[in-house]
Amino acid sequence: MAKINNVYAIFYVVCCVFLLWLGMVSSGYSMGLRSFVALPIEKDGAVIRFVYEHVKASDTASENSEHLIANVAYGLSAKQTLLLGLPYRLSPSDSDQQGDLSVLYRDIVWQNDRFSGTDRLGLLAGVITPTESDRDAAVQAGFVFTHFKNRNEIDVDVLYQAGMKERKNSARYDVSWQFRLLPSERADWGLTPELNSVLELSGRWLEGSRWFEGYSTVHQLTVGLQWVHQKWVLEGGIAKDISNGHESRYIMSTRFHF
Amino acid sequence: MKVFLTVILFSAFLIVQTAQARTVEVEVYGMTCAFCVDSLERKFSNMESISKVDVSLKHKKVRLVTDETMPNIETIKQAVLDAGFTPVKVTVQSNSQSNGQDQ
Repeated sequence: MAKINNVYAIFYVVCCVFLLWLGMVSSGYSMGLRSFVALPIEKDGAVIRFVYEHVKASDTASENSEHLIANVAYGLSAKQTLLLGLPYRLSPSDSDQQGDLSVLYRDIVWQNDRFSGTDRLGLLAGVITPTESDRDAAVQAGFVFTHFKNRNEIDVDVLYQAGMKERKNSARYDVSWQFRLLPSERADWGLTPELNSVLELSGRWLEGSRWFEGYSTVHQLTVGLQWVHQKWVLEGGIAKDISNGHESRYIMSTRFHF
Repeated sequence: MKVFLTVILFSAFLIVQTAQARTVEVEVYGMTCAFCVDSLERKFSNMESISKVDVSLKHKKVRLVTDETMPNIETIKQAVLDAGFTPVKVTVQSNSQSNGQDQ
């Protein structure tokens, strides 16, 4: 098992290096499919996103499930954004369908805009508010970095959640690369719909999971497409669990700019 | 005759308005995507004196057509900043003149 974990660890590092290298060599300011924290919002602007996920079970003993996630982002200023997220499990419809509310404040602390793109670093802080009385809250903190150049965008975010009372600590990371497939050359004025490819590596860590079983950290690789319009985006993708190699997720998402 | 005079007066009014209208080009760094275009269009469209907004992601420019009560340069720059981008250069051009004013 340890050998298998080593192979995954090496693959993970190679993917990260590959994604970062792609960002260095060339680079749409949008965001990946799995994370919502990189999206830029103007002062008094808002974005609403709905994500549908179908999770195909890893084995016959497990059950398929469906999830709906609603996200809202509001620009308090050009640099400060409020991000809300609420997951809901559509099926199986037993207990604990309602997930916990995530409230995050993002402050862009460094920004380097130039003709060919931008680099931005934002700090994240917030809380997880339980929606059921038998669950506990958590505080969360992390960062998000965006590098955009020409047709490429790289987003990297890391978030740590410190559980209160009985809630376990957890963490997550997300590295995404978006490449504008079409059009290769933008119009002189105005905007035509754009098609982006997305390649994303993300992971979740949960305290207290058993290391020797190899499930303490889950890494997923996602490939997808984004159809980008001026006021809305439609995106979809497939995520494959690369930690145990079984679970697959089919993701459809749409977001609207107000 | 009345109709003729009305047409003449209306035309004169339009000519005066056109002569006073200005085109402002703002070079903006940091805008990269479709929502960025939308953000800038919203910011400037909400300003009363601006009648038309065009954004170029290719040339990193915003082109504004304003009436005679053009917003001042600082207001334009602040709108770009509020949208989350960096204003680099503002060029004001009267439609009846070819010379520009860089700020």
